[in-house]
Amino acid sequence: MSSRAGTTPSTYSPSTQKKKPQKPTFNDSNGVRSDGRGFYQCRPAYLKTGAVSAAGGSAYAEFGNTKVIVSVFGPRESKKAMMYSNVGRLNCSVSYTPFATQVRGQGSEHKEYSSVLHKALEGAILLESFPKTTVDVFALVMESGGSDLPVIISCASLALADAGIMMYDLVAAVSLSCVGPSLVIDPVLEEERWQDGSLMLTYMPCRSEVTQLAVNGEWTTPKIHEGMELCLDACKKLAGIMRSCLKEEADSPSIQ
Amino acid sequence: MVGLSVGETNFIRGGIAQDLRCDGRKRLSYRPIHIDTGVIPQANGSARVRIGGTDVIASVKAELGRPNSAQPGKGKVSIHIDCSATAAPIFQGKGGEALSTELAADLQRCLLGGKSGAGAGIDLSSLSIVEGKVCWDLYLDGLVVSSDGNMLDALGAAIKAALSNTGLPKVNVIAADATSSGDQPEVDVSDEEFLQFDTSAVPVIVTLTKVGKHYIVDATEEEESQMSSAMSISINRKGLICGLTKRGGAGVDPSIVLDMISVAKNVSENFINVLDSEIAAAEAREEE
Repeated sequence: MSSRAGTTPSTYSPSTQKKKPQKPTFNDSNGVRSDGRGFYQCRPAYLKTGAVSAAGGSAYAEFGNTKVIVSVFGPRESKKAMMYSNVGRLNCSVSYTPFATQVRGQGSEHKEYSSVLHKALEGAILLESFPKTTVDVFALVMESGGSDLPVIISCASLALADAGIMMYDLVAAVSLSCVGPSLVIDPVLEEERWQDGSLMLTYMPCRSEVTQLAVNGEWTTPKIHEGMELCLDACKKLAGIMRSCLKEEADSPSIQ
Repeated sequence: MVGLSVGETNFIRGGIAQDLRCDGRKRLSYRPIHIDTGVIPQANGSARVRIGGTDVIASVKAELGRPNSAQPGKGKVSIHIDCSATAAPIFQGKGGEALSTELAADLQRCLLGGKSGAGAGIDLSSLSIVEGKVCWDLYLDGLVVSSDGNMLDALGAAIKAALSNTGLPKVNVIAADATSSGDQPEVDVSDEEFLQFDTSAVPVIVTLTKVGKHYIVDATEEEESQMSSAMSISINRKGLICGLTKRGGAGVDPSIVLDMISVAKNVSENFINVLDSEIAAAEAREEE
């Protein structure tokens, strides 16, 4: 286990339980991935709040090559055309820069990502604390390096916290790929391309609640158990990093 | 949107807690399912599925196309769902669009498997005709005619039935030699011989709706309005999980997620059998 508090940049990885990485049939032998990580080791996470000064709250996240900015605006008055609502609305939108992907302008599935982002966050926000108004969450993927959606979700919940939107807990998200018989956590683009299945979990550690879970590919039940356990553990550690990022920001004297 | 009074809400919730729902069902039993196949003559395959008040139509259209350069040996499948405004006024304009894209994305996740094709209900390599040159493009279109809850399961069942109703015309390659490299090979589409589609791997989707502490299958619209969250799990005949997606804002405890998966697995065995016999009955009726 490589994560020890105090090292920079901080990494997080789920505790490898009794199960050692099985004989991998994947890329290299002896359980090392193309970028030198172990199967159950996440990429180094760099998080920073206050990336955009014009926004109510914002955050920047960099997980390996995946770089994301999220800005949060509001709560502001809902559009006139919308019906009266005694709970607040959450509006999420995910977009890719044209240069985010290898082939220009191929950032895919924005619409789906936006709806998953919405579903992952709405359970964490106290929507009744801002009736009749809308909070906008805009995510921009500057570089897509794999596991984009979980990075967007974690970064968005940090940005919401930075904006002072009331939440039950921070939402941490981690994804996992199933490649052949082995599970690899926090996959990079190359691994995602060859994956047989993927599992993404978003989790609020303090309340122990899964806000969103998306699985595709072919999974046996024990494998889902194992994958979920790995993701839960990684989410808990990621949430710790997110929390310390917020604390740092609050402690440091504001530069003006 | 369903407007329910406090009394009605309590009645629904209380019924679910006591394992007796408003229409007399138990928590884990389905409404009667009725399937018709071959309802759209223009399509290669089609089916209409009615589960209680929910009524959906799925059609399969096959066209010859060029395979993706990244996957030369595979055909293409796309799923499109239309929530018609005739079903409910809230589907008008943008309201239907959001739901349609969400349903289509969920179906894609549940039926088409992972990137490498593992767990896919449709074997994409069986759609290839000439590698890198010609393949079948399958267009799966779903239409919600009337909605009374549980749309995803109904659409999944309709697509399964429509696929088993699908006959792809036999294609003879006339001139597929290396001399004309780069050109499209000439093909002859037979209008007499049809190849049946293997649908044994197509999973079924089971949605468990969580109301209070309990979960129910095949929720009606009234029951769905009371849900805290819902989990749609697609399971194939082998009992493998091919896709999973969660709806509803409220979070659930990880142990409940695992419990829901095992409940869905039990329910699915029965559901697959019911669907298969209904599909077989519908096919038999059509032939008469």
